[in-house]
Amino acid sequence: MYTADMDPEVAQWVEMLRSPQLDERLVAVKTLQHLGNEDAIEPLIGALYDENPTVQEIAITTLWEFATPVAINPLIECLSSPHENVRSEALSALKELVSTNDLMKLLDLLQVGNTHAQLNVLVLLRKIHDAQALPYIMPFFESENPDLREAAVITLRYLNQVVRCEPALALAKDPVESVRRATALTLGHLSDAEVVPLLCELLTSDEDWQVRRNAAQSLDILADSAAVEALVKAMDDPEWQVRKFTARALQKTPDIQALPVLIKSLADEYSDVRRDAATALGKLADPKALPPLQQTLNDPDMDVRIFSQRAIDAIQKSQPEPSNV
Amino acid sequence: MALTTQRVDVPVIVDESKCLEKCVACIEVCPLDVLVKNPDTGKAYMKYDECWFCLPCEKECPTGAITVQIPFLLR
Repeated sequence: MYTADMDPEVAQWVEMLRSPQLDERLVAVKTLQHLGNEDAIEPLIGALYDENPTVQEIAITTLWEFATPVAINPLIECLSSPHENVRSEALSALKELVSTNDLMKLLDLLQVGNTHAQLNVLVLLRKIHDAQALPYIMPFFESENPDLREAAVITLRYLNQVVRCEPALALAKDPVESVRRATALTLGHLSDAEVVPLLCELLTSDEDWQVRRNAAQSLDILADSAAVEALVKAMDDPEWQVRKFTARALQKTPDIQALPVLIKSLADEYSDVRRDAATALGKLADPKALPPLQQTLNDPDMDVRIFSQRAIDAIQKSQPEPSNV
Repeated sequence: MALTTQRVDVPVIVDESKCLEKCVACIEVCPLDVLVKNPDTGKAYMKYDECWFCLPCEKECPTGAITVQIPFLLR
């Protein structure tokens, strides 16, 4: 069949790839992978439809190594495979191979494929970044499957030029923690009017600490002064990661309201919190912070000492020179 | 390199029930060339007791017949 014009060394293995014996097909596909001869591309695409998932998986790896665009469509079909290993290998291969030209094929599969295919396509759309995918992603925000809701809201974060997406906001109240965690991070990339109040609510009242931490990270990106009150409250959060990212967010929006909590955080149990609180106090540039900052120059953590000194320098630099008269 | 005397003591263990006679994937990828085929059985084995624990043999084996036992201090 396809062996006529082939390198004879390749041809014997291609022939063996059609053997009814699984052992022989495994040896053949593995050897073709090692030979790396492009004559084998077409037979290897045929091997993607082999009944054995291990043969399929090795064929996918080999086609991935060839990086040939001819294999993209057959590899996209593998995203719907019932075998986890096959899907996972095809996804890894396609992450490197897909381009904007394949967008329509992926969007078609997103509409008609099974759940596995939909999850994988949502991941691949993050590589293409095209805002055209938005209308196709939005129905998944209301999916009954939490994995699909989570994947969809993560993908939204990667789409270029998308700054508003009201349907995604509802996922901030999702009953599943992983969905809320992903949503809290995605909201940092949106600019709907409700985003900042919603993030403030997540930061101060969500029961999951990772949601609160992600909300603080998003507020750090948005740098909106409307969030200061919630940030001040979150500096008393029981989880240190939340306090750390809250202190970082307060660096972007210096406000005198935060002075007492930031001074208190200079004595936090965790050095990352002390360091970021010191930096935030430096940005605040209030001389009242100088005495507590000077005390942290003896902190056991070197990072804290360095950043406290920088904060002190910044505050002193921002003060007007005393008059000599 | 020292020849192995006890095949059970070497770090690369081949499950002969899974090893395919015509397959040479592990032998080709071994950077130290310490794996060979037993001419009697057609199964791979570790001929020389020398191993970098680099693991391509384990990864490349299409049937999962190879296990590399990594010493405790290298784990």
